[in-house]
Amino acid sequence: MNPGCNIDYNTVLTTCPYCGCGCGLQLHVLDGRVVGVTPPKEHPISRGSLCIKGWNAHVFIHSKDRLTKPLIRKGDKFVATSWGKALNLVVDNLKKIRDENGPDAVGVLASARCTNEENYLLSKFARVVLGTNNIDHCARLCHASTVVALGEVFGSGAMTNSPTEFEKSDCILVTGSNTLEQHPLIGATILKARDKGAKIIVVDPRKIMLARFADIYLQPKPGTDVAWINGFMNIILSENLHDKEFIEKRTEGFEELRETIKKYTPERVEKITGIPKNKLVEAAKMFGVAERAAIVYSMGITQHVTGVDNVRSIANLAMLTGNVGREGTGVNPLRGQNNVQGACDMGALPNVYTGYQKITDEKIVEKFEEAWQTKLPRNAGLTVVEMTEAAVEGRLKALYVVGENPMLSDPDINRVRKGLEKLDFLVVQDIFMSETAELADVVLPGASYAEKDGTFTATDRCVQRVRKAIEPIGDAKADWEIICAIAKGMGSHGFEYSSPKEVFEEIARLTPSYAGITYERLDKELRIPWPCPTRDHPGTPILHVERFTRGKGRFTPAEYREPAELPDDEYPFLLTTGRTLFHYHTGTMTRRTPKLVSEVETGYVELNGEDAKILGVKNNDLVVVTSRRGSIQVPVWVTDRVPRGVVFIPFHFAECAANVLTHAKLDPEAKIPEYKVCAVKIEKKNG
Amino acid sequence: MNSLEAETRRVVSKLLEEKRVDGVIAPRRHQGCTGPHLFQRVEEVEKLVLTPKYPVANLCLLIQTKHPEAKLGVVVRGCDERAIRELGKLGQIDVEKLVLIGLACTEEEAVRCGCSQPYPSRVDIGVKVEGEKPDTKVAPIKEKNLLERLKFWSENFSKCIKCYGCREACPMCVCEECMLEKWFWVKGGEIPPEIPTFHLIRAYHMADKCTGCGECEAACPVGIPLTSLYLLILEDVKKLFGYEPGRDERISPLLTTLEEAPISE
Repeated sequence: MNPGCNIDYNTVLTTCPYCGCGCGLQLHVLDGRVVGVTPPKEHPISRGSLCIKGWNAHVFIHSKDRLTKPLIRKGDKFVATSWGKALNLVVDNLKKIRDENGPDAVGVLASARCTNEENYLLSKFARVVLGTNNIDHCARLCHASTVVALGEVFGSGAMTNSPTEFEKSDCILVTGSNTLEQHPLIGATILKARDKGAKIIVVDPRKIMLARFADIYLQPKPGTDVAWINGFMNIILSENLHDKEFIEKRTEGFEELRETIKKYTPERVEKITGIPKNKLVEAAKMFGVAERAAIVYSMGITQHVTGVDNVRSIANLAMLTGNVGREGTGVNPLRGQNNVQGACDMGALPNVYTGYQKITDEKIVEKFEEAWQTKLPRNAGLTVVEMTEAAVEGRLKALYVVGENPMLSDPDINRVRKGLEKLDFLVVQDIFMSETAELADVVLPGASYAEKDGTFTATDRCVQRVRKAIEPIGDAKADWEIICAIAKGMGSHGFEYSSPKEVFEEIARLTPSYAGITYERLDKELRIPWPCPTRDHPGTPILHVERFTRGKGRFTPAEYREPAELPDDEYPFLLTTGRTLFHYHTGTMTRRTPKLVSEVETGYVELNGEDAKILGVKNNDLVVVTSRRGSIQVPVWVTDRVPRGVVFIPFHFAECAANVLTHAKLDPEAKIPEYKVCAVKIEKKNG
Repeated sequence: MNSLEAETRRVVSKLLEEKRVDGVIAPRRHQGCTGPHLFQRVEEVEKLVLTPKYPVANLCLLIQTKHPEAKLGVVVRGCDERAIRELGKLGQIDVEKLVLIGLACTEEEAVRCGCSQPYPSRVDIGVKVEGEKPDTKVAPIKEKNLLERLKFWSENFSKCIKCYGCREACPMCVCEECMLEKWFWVKGGEIPPEIPTFHLIRAYHMADKCTGCGECEAACPVGIPLTSLYLLILEDVKKLFGYEPGRDERISPLLTTLEEAPISE
């Protein structure tokens, strides 16, 4: 018998810090370290499974690279310091710049990886303490098109259904989403739906893994989505497959749509997109005859200068066929980050407060002025890419960046560097020394998902708990504590919270869609889909069931317009960018996880076999890829995933950063950059 | 409340109260979900549940690595005990330091797993049921001819997204260096991983280890019938070598010998 062998062991149920699937994770904590994960079998999304990143979601927590102390720049180097000194420097500088140049000279980048509570506090901080609406985050770069378009045509900018329903779908149209790689557990659900008999249609310029399981696979030229979607609708109308009752009762603007759709005949669509017309007809019919058809989409639709039009067209197609408001149907944008949905819900955006309550609505502004006890600015703030421009032009002088890495994830990185270097003051709060933190004046060590309490909201609007398993590493602090400390240092009294739970309670008081959610309910119910207006409301799994949030759904016809920069004689290849399964975004976490690094160590450029022959390159040869913005060296991966004339580079790798090449031309309404199309030239690297 | 669970809680509480162990490994329902847990205090035991089942050998190993001196109770089903036996033979678990609480699976559970030995060697909780015939799970596959089987497995392997869940969930997968991650066997960063190499490497490595617990299949997000694959190989191993993983504490595993010559009776 062993007298009192002390085993410090516990398990904590939390949510995966990687993608928007929102898988449940049980963390195993042994002697103060997170040593493993187990996916719960009852969790509706993970169901006992995880992707390779999820199974390794604990590894980066204890990386020796973790920022453990506040750092202050001294010349080229960083010097570790105390919290007191670091916070004083931040407070003094932000105050000075705000007071001397006006509140709009300061900006805040919130974090799609931090909790809802933290994003709320950042939004409050920008507005109450700094006095500006200059707050934004990386949703701008991914689903801004969705938030704007669906917000307008449905009244709510979020995913209408949940992946848990896909197994009830008769047909799933997947476009601009490499689902098996980017939302693996949702991709897995689509495969299970297919096993049950659902028809799968995949439309993607690249022959992604899911395409091999499609009943019909269409390969359009990048950036031609309005054309093929209008083509679908043209065929559905001429085949009489549209849902007349739904159109009549639930929508407005159909006649105007019909006029536009007439022009997108299969012949014309083939000319624009390259999709053979008989295949287009087959696919459209397959979608049109389905009883329950769901549309799943992601960056391939949103990251264009016509991103908002692309999403409007998807919404048009769904409404035309009556596929909104029922189980197994819907418009399903797959949100990228673990909490990008939440960061948007919390109003970390320059034009809304929590729950998308508009800053242009006087009654709303008064409500928040009352709650926050301060006068609030009424002019809309800058978006992410606009902040870069403002920094370059000297209008933005200070930036507080939390859990974001624009130096790798924003378009046209050389311009981002120019902007950030021109700032008078840059403070970066992160768990690792990111490429952006390298440029900072002050670096504040934040806490990972395992070191704090809070909530994340997954892509299907489900709010889930994040639970603290260990104390923050070294001298790092929970991000919510840091934000409050800075606020207090700047003289604000509205940041006295003893726990994230208190912050959440304040959020619920101010946000009708979150009003009924509590930590106690989440302990029991696991995931609650907003809107959840009262404590006894079960949450809303499916949106727009009886009526759209705005009343009637609005058809908005869109005309095909070309991408901003197409290949020409000087830059003959079309570059499209994206991700790989094995890494996440700027790689701060995944590139410190050995099992992920052993799968994919560095970047690559996917190059079609025929093009490789002409260029005289083989697999793993180094090539120089150049655009009008800059140049990178990157190894070749010869593959037929890309068609001739198109190349693909994942953006995770700083040493061959795809975003050196991309441009910052934006969709005029959503201000999202066109990551998916730009022009490059490729040369074999000699020597 | 389920009477098997009530009984298990009684037994576990007693073990903890009498300080006969430092902790007991069993599933716990906590914060809305279930997962394997180390119960160390009697107050926690009311959260002990038996379903859904989770492999417990993994947690034994984890704790013994940091606390080799610990005396651990473990609630084991038949498959758990078989895994612990094999891991004991491979020198990965110190079986002497474990107090096994034998749990018999119900008829329903046995049918769901297609299990032919749904009980541990000593049953402390529950009533032993016969289980299914040994080839129940694999029978539908054996009915296919070779070409059909090739198509069946190729199509299944083509769904693989290389999550390694089969390996992570498996109680027997403990190697510090895993052959699946070696570039000369399987190229990194490709999905699906090379067909059939990736899955056949695992299947062959499971030949003298698989205890039929089904956790690999349960963890597979795309529904590859992995347990059936390994059971098919186990059938051949039994026929050719007379070896069944987990059935005996002394017969050496086939693919590994810890001594010069295999230990024999």
